[in-house]
Amino acid sequence: MTPEAADVLKGAIALVGYGLAAVGPGIGIGIVVGNAIQAMARQPEAAGMARTTMFLGIAFTEALALIGFVLFFIA
Amino acid sequence: MESVILAASECDVSEEIICAPKDVLELFFFEDALFTIGGFNFTRTVFLIFLAMFIVLGLLYFGLRKGEKVPSKFAAAIESLVTFVKEDIAIGIIGPEGVKYAPYLLAVFMFVIVGNLFEVTPLINFPITSRMAIPLFISLVTWVIFVFVGFKKNGISYLTGLIWPKSVPIALRWLVGIIEFVSTFLLRPVTLAVRLFANLVAGHLMLTLLLASGWIFISSVGDIGARAIIGLPWFVFGLGIYLFEIVVAVLQAYIITLLSAVYVQTSVHPEH
Repeated sequence: MTPEAADVLKGAIALVGYGLAAVGPGIGIGIVVGNAIQAMARQPEAAGMARTTMFLGIAFTEALALIGFVLFFIA
Repeated sequence: MESVILAASECDVSEEIICAPKDVLELFFFEDALFTIGGFNFTRTVFLIFLAMFIVLGLLYFGLRKGEKVPSKFAAAIESLVTFVKEDIAIGIIGPEGVKYAPYLLAVFMFVIVGNLFEVTPLINFPITSRMAIPLFISLVTWVIFVFVGFKKNGISYLTGLIWPKSVPIALRWLVGIIEFVSTFLLRPVTLAVRLFANLVAGHLMLTLLLASGWIFISSVGDIGARAIIGLPWFVFGLGIYLFEIVVAVLQAYIITLLSAVYVQTSVHPEH
């Protein structure tokens, strides 16, 4: 394999890897936000607390996708 | 214009459909220093760090100074920002003793929000938090604070409580202990820094690619004729991302402050 072809292939594999890394956090953020909305709808007086916790949950879940994004550039 | 838009300096508008830089890693290299004083290299980023510092100091000084009987709208806005960090983040997360950490959290919040908003400030368009040094330094300071507070409040039981948790069945304690130790002392500062860094890099990269592509295609309409229409969807998409990035900039400043408070809270009350 020529070096150019190897470079192209490496970039393509890194792109697929980032795609895979984005699947789990995507599902996770969906679950977090969905349940937070449910909590806010059921108990509107606790909406502030639910929102803060929701952002925390999003931040923790999102980290995985962002690490995948950084690895895409490092690869 | 070409020298301003680093990413798109070499772009063959008659062949490609988006102006991506030849090697994206170029965006992460250090810029050449503008000048050097006593071993310190002054680059554009350094100037922006000082600019952010003076903006934060100015906002807080003019917003919170005493003397006016009726606070102006500007003073009220700054005051509500400070109250938000103090009441909602510091006291709300850490508890009554969180007042002690409010100055640090306010400093982090103000600096990061100003640094992030540089991303969408016209003529600057560069978030200083997309250089790894700044998020890494902030998260290391947070790391030092929560480790120090943990040992000060709980003594050596802070460490033993982490690596030998009493509430876990004895057969699993070593495993949970290893996971807790690694995640608390090694992964926390890394993920805290990478979260802010990667969000801002992703946003900055996307804005650069889309808006620069749009601008270059549309401005070269004389050379390529009808092909310049490619630039229009890039430009519109870029403007949409621009609005989204304003939200991301504010949200990430909030999240790094919130997580710093949560990490300090887990050291103050390690059982919960």
